[in-house]
Amino acid sequence: MKPFVVRSLSRLLIACLMLMSFGTASAGMIGVDQLSASVGATTDRAALMTILARGDVQSQLQAQGVDPSAARERVAAMTDSEVSSVMGQIDALPAGASSNNGWYWGAAVIVAIIVWYMWFS
Amino acid sequence: MVQLIRARFANARLAAGVFICALLPGCALVIPQTSQLHDTWPEGLAQHAEVEGVPFFPQEELLCGPTALATALAAAGAHVTPGDLVASVYLPGRRGALQVEMLAAPRTRGFVSYRLEPRLEDVLREIAAGNAVVVLQDFGVWPFHLWHYAVAVGFDRDRGMVVMRSGTHERQAAPFGALEYTWKESGYWSMVVLPPGRVPVTANEARYLEAVAAAARVSGAKAAALAYEGLLERWPADVGAAVGLANVRYGSGDLAGAEKALRSGLERSPSATPLLNNLAQVLSDEGRNDEALRTIDAAQRAPGPFAAELAKTRDTILERMGKAAAK
Repeated sequence: MKPFVVRSLSRLLIACLMLMSFGTASAGMIGVDQLSASVGATTDRAALMTILARGDVQSQLQAQGVDPSAARERVAAMTDSEVSSVMGQIDALPAGASSNNGWYWGAAVIVAIIVWYMWFS
Repeated sequence: MVQLIRARFANARLAAGVFICALLPGCALVIPQTSQLHDTWPEGLAQHAEVEGVPFFPQEELLCGPTALATALAAAGAHVTPGDLVASVYLPGRRGALQVEMLAAPRTRGFVSYRLEPRLEDVLREIAAGNAVVVLQDFGVWPFHLWHYAVAVGFDRDRGMVVMRSGTHERQAAPFGALEYTWKESGYWSMVVLPPGRVPVTANEARYLEAVAAAARVSGAKAAALAYEGLLERWPADVGAAVGLANVRYGSGDLAGAEKALRSGLERSPSATPLLNNLAQVLSDEGRNDEALRTIDAAQRAPGPFAAELAKTRDTILERMGKAAAK
């Protein structure tokens, strides 16, 4: 129970701090991100949701072994839509990793398909 | 088995055979884009090209994400090695790098990353224009995936080959069909990384604006301004870029520069509400409240989705005018 309360409270505090900083940054000027966004996407509620999503993705990166300060920077470099596209999926999305000799396997599959095509049709 | 295939593929004639395979109707289903390229070579596209000055970093175990990205970034003029990027894109728990992070990491270094349309033709066009292209391939056989990032740097139509920096190979030649087949599973995902101001030749206006805006959030004012200026050079009537450029200048205290960007945007789109609103704000900050009020009045004739912002700006102007009158 306690960790949940602490976690919720800290999330709320982070959100408040970030909302405050947004407020001062955009004084009176309409931003580029507001142009394509549908009406309502720039409401405080939506802003709050994206901030919480950023916090979630950051802790998901940390769970994958990224250190906390790097995780914060990495989430900061993503756009809101990128954040929501990876949220909750970090363990399932494609992660380029293999060393490269594998392409021969790809080629092997193609050869197999050609052989199959010529043999059976 | 692998040795055997490797030996066979050393034979260029057989390798070209995979390209020729596009002649067979069945292959058109497996590698439709290669088949299409074989039938009709895109107009205006060179027969062969190779990007010059692309460095080669031999890949260390599992680090193809940082390696591919460092290759593309260094080709675009950044001083960076794969080791520098490990902390930015590598995910220890996944032993790999996510596509989103490959796109996000260059932004903090002042570069603009752009995901290409899922077309082999666009990859070739970028290479012909001198831009190295990062591609995400899958070497796995269903149901297993074996994701791998490589950098396409050249192609040759006659030989039917693409040249890539891939893993420990500096110039790996792969038939068009082999690249397409291994590339398919990622939804033909590829990206370019370019210095701000240099627009990818295949860029789409709306998507490139998104890419620049994404970079501008974290790249610093100088890089952001350059990126918006490059966008405006290609698409002078882009309202978003005019707004973005003005906001960057406004953010760094350059009111005159912001005004200039907004006015030149208004020359082409005289009734664009965001431009009028922001111009009114800038004019008011410059102490020209009468002019600001006229501008915001013009904007309020067709507020579109920005009625709330316009009303707020108008209140600010009136408040400042009231204060000035009271003095």
